[in-house]
Amino acid sequence: MATANLDSVLEGRRSQPSQLIEVLQDIQDLYGYVSEDAMEQVAGGLGIPLMEVYRVACFYKAFSLQPRGKNVITVCTGTACHVRGSDLLIDQVRGQLQIEPGETTRDGLFTFECVNCLGACALGPIVVHNDAYNPHVTPGKLRKMIDKAEEEGKKEAAYGKTGKA
Amino acid sequence: MQQQVTLTIDGSTIRAARGTSVLEAALGYGICIPHLCHVPGLKDTGACRLCIVENVQNGRSRVTTSCTLTVQEGMVIRTNTENIKRLRRNIAELIVAEAPNSRAVQDMAVRCGVREVRYPFRRENCIQCGRCVRYCTEMWRANALGFIGRGKDRKVDFAFGNRRDICKKCQSCVIYCPMSVTPCGGPMKPGEEKLCGKCESVELMAENAYGACVHCELGKGFQCSRHAM
Ligand code: FES
Ligand code: FES
Repeated sequence: MATANLDSVLEGRRSQPSQLIEVLQDIQDLYGYVSEDAMEQVAGGLGIPLMEVYRVACFYKAFSLQPRGKNVITVCTGTACHVRGSDLLIDQVRGQLQIEPGETTRDGLFTFECVNCLGACALGPIVVHNDAYNPHVTPGKLRKMIDKAEEEGKKEAAYGKTGKA
Repeated sequence: MQQQVTLTIDGSTIRAARGTSVLEAALGYGICIPHLCHVPGLKDTGACRLCIVENVQNGRSRVTTSCTLTVQEGMVIRTNTENIKRLRRNIAELIVAEAPNSRAVQDMAVRCGVREVRYPFRRENCIQCGRCVRYCTEMWRANALGFIGRGKDRKVDFAFGNRRDICKKCQSCVIYCPMSVTPCGGPMKPGEEKLCGKCESVELMAENAYGACVHCELGKGFQCSRHAM
């Protein structure tokens, strides 16, 4: 299944080294992260040394090499967001989920990340929750956001269990 | 026939084949420009910045790395002005501070006139000259080593940090690494790093007899073109 997907990503781009970044981006979208396995197949498919693929994947923050949680919480730590209190938001996530930036919770529900600027400084402080930009976030709003996501995640898990039974 | 160009380096007129770098041309004529990341036969990346020279154009001089500067007709290069010496000394100091535990680096610093190091020693064991990476990729086409990460987290590593099986075991990365030459007195203890400077007399000689080779350790182990002559 997974290989079939990878094949479709590589389809029509085989032996085209210049397509490396596009291919990695597609893989990132597809799986949420770029696995070592995927990198090896990309290297083989595009005809690039594995080292090169790994180097590029490591270089860009857009690629994550570890599986990411269901909910990706990205806090902006850029200058504008910082002066409007993004460090409070970081503390909020840290305290609530007990993870540091770049880490994923054990249950795989949350990944916490920091970025330097999202280019929407006027709306700061900004928190991105799964591609949704939330402007003017306060620690309180952030708590509710995380709580809601957590509840939903739990509900889904419970549903999945009963559904199977 | 190869096309030749004529340029002036430190006042002497020299001829060099089109396409060679200023550094190579100078070394060929016995003009010693200190260099570290340059390996004959490999593409130059200008990683160490030690080989800086002044390129004089229309009365204005620009400081650039000579290993990445290709020779051009009528070029005027100065390799030993006060300004260059000052900049070069600073660069050498930074390199020693980054990785003091190498005879090659220490010798190089003495050659560049460093008498004391004003920066705190960081004791890394890599100066990111990229000699190993380039040799691995260009000469052996093994692509086992590469630069991973960026900024201050950049480092040389295998793919995924563990793919040693791609390596062809040629040992070039060790042979060409300036860190593989330990200082005469052995590795320095943490907190006691210093500039060795025992060979300073050699350096004095080099200063008086302009252009003389100091036969630095780097040249011996790393095939500085001057040692080959
Ligand atoms: S500083 Fe946060 S969006 Fe620019
Ligand atoms: S030799 Fe030119 S920058 Fe290192």
